[in-house]
Amino acid sequence: MSKDILVIGGGIAGMQASLDLADMGLQVHMVEKLPCIGGKMAQLDKTFPTNDCAM
Amino acid sequence: MEKEELRIGVFVCKCGSNIAGYLDVEALDEYASALPNVVFTQWNLYTCSDVGLDEIKKGIKEQNLNRVVVASCSPRTHEPLFRSICAEAELNPYLFEMVNIRDQCSWVHMNEREPAMAKARDLIRMGVAKAALLEPQEIITSEVEVRALVIGGGIAGLTAATSLANRGFPVILLEKEKELGGMLRSLNRLAPMDVDASEVISKKIKEAEDHPNIDVYTGAAIDKVEGFIGKFDVTFSANGTTKDVRLGVVIIATGAGNLVPEGMYQYDGQKVITQWELEEKLKIGKIDGNNVVMIQCVGARSAERQYCSRICCAVAIKNAILIKQMNPAAKVYILYRDIMAYGVENEEELRKAKQLGVRFVKYDPERPPVVEEDKVTVFHHLMGKELELPQDMVVLSTPLIASEDAVKIANLFRVTLDENKFFLEAHVKLRPLDCATDGIFLCGSAHYPKDVRESILQALGAASRASIPLAQGEIKIEPIISTFVDRDACRGCGLCVALCPYGALEIEETDEGRKANIITVACKGCGVCAATCFRHALGINSFTDEQIQAQIHGFLAA
Amino acid sequence: MEKVTGSNGDFAVTVRKKARYVDEDLCTGCGACAEKCPTTVPDEFNMGLGKRKAIYKYYTQGIPSTFCIDAVHCRTFQKGKKCGVCEKICQAKAIDYKQEDKILELKVGAIVLAVGYDLFDAAKLPEYGYGRITNVINALEFERLLSASGPTEGHVERLSDLRDHELIHSGEKKLKKATKTLGKYEKKHKKSSADFYKEFTAGNISDGDEFAKWAKQYESVQEATKKLEALKAKAEKFDVATRLAFIQCVGSRDFRFNKYCSSYCCMHSIKEAMIAKDHEARTDAYIFNMDLRTVGKGFEEYKVRGAEKTGLNYVRGRVAEITQDENENPIIWYEETTSQTPKSLTVDLAILAVACEAPKGIEKIAEMVGVELDHNRFFKTDPLNPLDTTVPGIFVCGCAQGPMDIPESVAQASSAASRAAEAVAGKA
Repeated sequence: MSKDILVIGGGIAGMQASLDLADMGLQVHMVEKLPCIGGKMAQLDKTFPTNDCAM
Repeated sequence: MEKEELRIGVFVCKCGSNIAGYLDVEALDEYASALPNVVFTQWNLYTCSDVGLDEIKKGIKEQNLNRVVVASCSPRTHEPLFRSICAEAELNPYLFEMVNIRDQCSWVHMNEREPAMAKARDLIRMGVAKAALLEPQEIITSEVEVRALVIGGGIAGLTAATSLANRGFPVILLEKEKELGGMLRSLNRLAPMDVDASEVISKKIKEAEDHPNIDVYTGAAIDKVEGFIGKFDVTFSANGTTKDVRLGVVIIATGAGNLVPEGMYQYDGQKVITQWELEEKLKIGKIDGNNVVMIQCVGARSAERQYCSRICCAVAIKNAILIKQMNPAAKVYILYRDIMAYGVENEEELRKAKQLGVRFVKYDPERPPVVEEDKVTVFHHLMGKELELPQDMVVLSTPLIASEDAVKIANLFRVTLDENKFFLEAHVKLRPLDCATDGIFLCGSAHYPKDVRESILQALGAASRASIPLAQGEIKIEPIISTFVDRDACRGCGLCVALCPYGALEIEETDEGRKANIITVACKGCGVCAATCFRHALGINSFTDEQIQAQIHGFLAA
Repeated sequence: MEKVTGSNGDFAVTVRKKARYVDEDLCTGCGACAEKCPTTVPDEFNMGLGKRKAIYKYYTQGIPSTFCIDAVHCRTFQKGKKCGVCEKICQAKAIDYKQEDKILELKVGAIVLAVGYDLFDAAKLPEYGYGRITNVINALEFERLLSASGPTEGHVERLSDLRDHELIHSGEKKLKKATKTLGKYEKKHKKSSADFYKEFTAGNISDGDEFAKWAKQYESVQEATKKLEALKAKAEKFDVATRLAFIQCVGSRDFRFNKYCSSYCCMHSIKEAMIAKDHEARTDAYIFNMDLRTVGKGFEEYKVRGAEKTGLNYVRGRVAEITQDENENPIIWYEETTSQTPKSLTVDLAILAVACEAPKGIEKIAEMVGVELDHNRFFKTDPLNPLDTTVPGIFVCGCAQGPMDIPESVAQASSAASRAAEAVAGKA
């Protein structure tokens, strides 16, 4: 049995899940189909309700 | 201690064409070589590439450099990398200084090359001046007590506690009421699952109570909290006994309260009731009369309470459906402003209600409905005419409001509440489940009104966040934090304590009198204390007055 | 991801790591290659509104910050063409045309599905004219127009204006080339084209194929110049788009497409309108909605601020149709339901708040890992176990579970992490 975890998707949800798991000390494999992680959130300019930058 | 000879090395980066396209990097390299204490300089195509990093290591080893300055890009992205390279070459990583000639020179002054060069020279000179005064620092580590405190035994608290316990972490669960279960105990059925709330909650209660890793205390009240992440010392009393416990992390799941709409729409708790009171009636299964009128946004989205309570539309729709199912002849009207049936399930329920014949009437907040003895008069905003609806029962949808204990808990744990007295998260999007104070997490309606599904979700998330320090067993803290530069000067005035946003300072009585004490683990190095201390007793490591003055002198020395 | 076998606690996963044709360890992300690359293609990150090269970084701040080659468009990968420019220019020697896909075999104890969502294709709603009326765009395209790192550097311009600028640019290029050809004739015959053409049309020069060609070339240059000038005159009057209409529930709460509510679009449109107004104070924004669903923390306050401080107009009514006037300005036809009056409004840009849909290819992933989808094609979950799919050890978070906003996605991601950690701790 393996303790590693596979996360499929490198958008905001995939990244946060991976970070939490890695911080817990688990080995995470994150898979993203595009050349860069970031997902749709990276395409946003600002975000509600605080109007801060999505990057 | 004998003062060692200063041997500063400066590495100037071309960053491909990012810097070299606008600045003469080789000239900057030559300029740096003439600065005081600089014994070695070098330019690289990319200082951050393997080749560039090797050059830094080689410089430290072969030239005996004891301070390193890199003039390149932003410390936000690259400082950790360069620091770790210094450490690899056995130079204390805090003897490293970074100068940003990309963002601050080549990028912002693309079209004015000569002034950009002058600015780059200034920045490098300042960096070198500061580097001369840098002191070695050590990473601070602090152990974490592997035990969690969960405050609140409703659906959120129970879920969070069980999740942590399943991972093998011991949990103390405190509930102020005599029984676990929270709000779900008084609810009837839940949508869209169509299950009994009591069934759901009793299962959760049993799971938590039977769990070997969870200690449950009901009738509990917290008396005192001291300490910080990893070492919270909490005193609480439960059922007449007082206990002191040490905990690594805390999850706040204290839930919310209900607004009692005194003086609104003829509210009397009998014929004009709240959704909450309707739940009780539905539990017994007894609804009098055929004509039910529900009014949304009672005491919410108004001048005095601006927020939308998120769940009330779904609650009204759910209860309207239940009434129609019990008595198809019933006439149920929902008077609304916007139907907040967000998402997949809620919109489905809305559709179901419409199919069952529940009538939705949009009202204009400027012309609110009027409740009379046996009818409700409402101006139908979309038909443009007034309707008179007969009523046997009026149900008011009131918002969830902050729990009455919120202020007390917030003060005890030094966490912040928002303007509606719900607990405030550290960052809306990046850290929605963390409090700004390290080691404290939040979930459920303590944060904002939530339905059962959302409370479960948040609780699991908070458990995930809280488990991180527990799993790591210790926390590592950057040493760039508040420090005493002159402890004798401190008179214990407490100004720093009052202004510290992280609760990282306290006043203690010592043999030398009242003195501030720095709780290093809680300090974030923001510098507010150092800036306000008029006795100049406090400073920030790597940003001391002397270092900053050296930079200013360096700037003026052109 | 190509194959998944095994079960809770013990999954074997095959992943294909696609070749980037750029060595990630060597590439420093300097961008010299993309600067010199001769092939230009529409940029997906900017929703096709901008251009990128065949060797590219998906977006400026993207991670990994290394470049990659889009083999479908790269000249070197297309048969019979020699290019190799990026290989010559790269000082880090990072270009590797021979790089191959790598097959990775992973053993994992749990799987988190965070595959996100796709946007509803607004062209399915012919009445709104998306794809037919140039100045009707979707909300994510508008987001790129607002972005300082986007194709317009944050200036909100009508798409027809962007198209015309592009036409002027390409027209000038073509004209330059054509004028050069005329120059050759002029040099050969030592005569200006205008003089020649006068004589030619008067019938004084008649014989020879070349003269006919010259005349034809002259005519086409004249015509192109006229067209270009007209276009330029038109472009002089171009202004940023100040009249904006945001159309809510496009493909959501619609029985023909998705019956559900996409949750975030109301707030998204309010935000876009607010930012547009920040960029340009003259902006007049209208948000056409059925209900404005502002159910999150601080959302209602944000909406009220949008109306009171920023001056946004919230109009209750579902838009019936969008047409356009002779200047390609969209005309919004709607009933203002609070006054029961059919109305129309002419704007510079119409922005469609398109639904959040389960991503294309979700069926394939579901089949591969063996989980069920719900009737909306999202991964199926139970509201009381909202992160658990129908297979133990496989969890879901974010919009792959259903539409949600960023704070919810982040919170859910942490929750999924919790469940996955419980699973490998042996208790889930």
